Amino acid sequence: MRAYRLCPAKAKRLGADEFLRANIFSLRSTCDGPEFTFCEALRVSANAAQVAASFEGPPDPDLVRIRDLVYEEAGIFHPDSKLRLLWERCGRRMQELKTETVREYFECLTVKPNRQAELVALLNEITIAETCFFRNQPQLNAVRDVVIPKIIEAKAKLPIRRIRIWSAGCSTGEEPYTLSMLLLEESERRLRDWSFEILATDLNERSLAHAKKGLYGSYSTRNLSAYYREKYFLPEGEQLQVQSVVRKNVKFSRLNLSDDARMTFMKSVDIIFCCNVLIYFDLASKRRVIQHFYNKLLPHGYLLLGSSESLYRVTEDFRLVHLPGATAYVKGERSQAGKKVS
Amino acid sequence: MSATTTTTKLLERVKDLKQIPTIPVVLAPLLRYLEQPVEDLDIQKVTDVIAQDKALAAQCLRMANSPLFCRFQKIDSLRTAILGLGFQRVSDIAMSCGVLNLTPKDTGGIDPVVFWEHSLGCALVCRHFARTISYPDPRKAYLAGLLHDLGIVVNLWSFPEEFRRVFERARSQRIPLHEAEQAVLGFTHCDSGSLLAENWDLSADLHAVVSLHHGSYESSEHAPLIAVVELADLLCRMSGLNYGYLENRQVNVLERPGFAVLLQKFPALRDFDWARLTFELDSYMDEVHGLVHAIYRK
Repeated sequence: MRAYRLCPAKAKRLGADEFLRANIFSLRSTCDGPEFTFCEALRVSANAAQVAASFEGPPDPDLVRIRDLVYEEAGIFHPDSKLRLLWERCGRRMQELKTETVREYFECLTVKPNRQAELVALLNEITIAETCFFRNQPQLNAVRDVVIPKIIEAKAKLPIRRIRIWSAGCSTGEEPYTLSMLLLEESERRLRDWSFEILATDLNERSLAHAKKGLYGSYSTRNLSAYYREKYFLPEGEQLQVQSVVRKNVKFSRLNLSDDARMTFMKSVDIIFCCNVLIYFDLASKRRVIQHFYNKLLPHGYLLLGSSESLYRVTEDFRLVHLPGATAYVKGERSQAGKKVS
Repeated sequence: MSATTTTTKLLERVKDLKQIPTIPVVLAPLLRYLEQPVEDLDIQKVTDVIAQDKALAAQCLRMANSPLFCRFQKIDSLRTAILGLGFQRVSDIAMSCGVLNLTPKDTGGIDPVVFWEHSLGCALVCRHFARTISYPDPRKAYLAGLLHDLGIVVNLWSFPEEFRRVFERARSQRIPLHEAEQAVLGFTHCDSGSLLAENWDLSADLHAVVSLHHGSYESSEHAPLIAVVELADLLCRMSGLNYGYLENRQVNVLERPGFAVLLQKFPALRDFDWARLTFELDSYMDEVHGLVHAIYRK
């Protein structure tokens, strides 16, 4: 391909916009550097687009409808790049229900009499594989690098140097133990002279019993680095036992998040983790739970949700903030939040 | 140092901007043509322009017949090949590749991939964001997103060694790149980009985006476009479409001046779902990685 160069004088004749278009249209005009042609670029683009869509052609509109339904109902979003995952999860439910097409399954979720139960079943599929140690590494990094320093800053002038974290919906305990390890590591750095406690609650007695035992198989521990494995776990047959140094900072308790009376014992919390729990509540209960979270959090407090979970349309009280590689909600001033929408 | 002295010093040090490559002239009319509304486009005209370059036309055909594209039938005309790709993709890719090839061969050890991934990602996010809030010219937003960091190209050409120090500093301290530039160079890529924008005689709105996207621009007549780019740029830098490192800070989009600028013009922003936009950025990553890596890491 021949190369041309436009000089600014010519640019003036052509007009600014035209010249811009000419300039930005530069396709490897010099002979050094990697060879690359217009056509190859088109090929690559089409290839990338296909990979992104994961299917031949554009995404199935019915699958997109299910994606939007899941987002509206539960606040969990699947970007186009993760539609294949959603499709697989739907596939399992479709097999169970013996439905043939995604459209039919969409109807099961929207017009059939047991649609609410089916939605819960699908949400179970969507979140089922989520529990393990260090499940959401970018979120944990953001907590370590930004959230904890912000909390230290906010509490600098207080006499008591203590951080309190609530793991709401802790399931079988992987999340609170992960947080305990994270803070133990930080107590040799930023959190020197600080104490911390992690309150871990769940509705399910069996999950809690498992959590208290602290014994985990290979699936739960798949993300554990050799460092953490060696430092904080002891092998017990085929399984790994969480060491007492990690366990002593975690307090487990049974709690129903929609039980207003029991919620009162929680208070002065710095960070609430509530990952893939809110999805099971309807909007009214969701708002009630979020209201409780708001009241339990200290003024600088943070609320962290699952990696694609959102509070959109649930509340105006919390503000979405962007952390490196993750998002979080911070407690906003109520009056300001009101002003924003007025 | 006053702004004028900075610019003078910078001007003294910027090597001849003409060394920054430009383009094969046959493609300029094509892109100009593709700027029109899709419904006004005539496939034959596009075909005629591409056909002027025999090598280009031949490669188009070969590519269109690769296993990727012969989903329906054998493609034996350039016209069918272009139809298969669609105008938007032809235009996007043409623009993107043009910019991608602006970086020098020797970048002082800095990987240009990270900058272009960010620029392409930002372009896509700008267009998507613009459409969502009903900004009147989403194509312009795409272009502005693609070009906003033009000053980095100048820095790579004119100050490769210093810029390597800038980048190391930004990455190790996890601070915004323009802050590291200010500390090491005494100016930012907005200043140097402004010089190139002037030299290239870019339109006033794009010039404003290049020079002001990290500055205070609320009084600029092009404030809405700059705001779209500023917010999209921020979201990209806080997510996977960054400069190869994540900045160590907390960003509240609603508190940015750009948000206030846009809120005045676009009421749709009142009820805007920032969380969803953030999740959607994931979808662009494969596309951006694929394109940029094919060019640099073939």
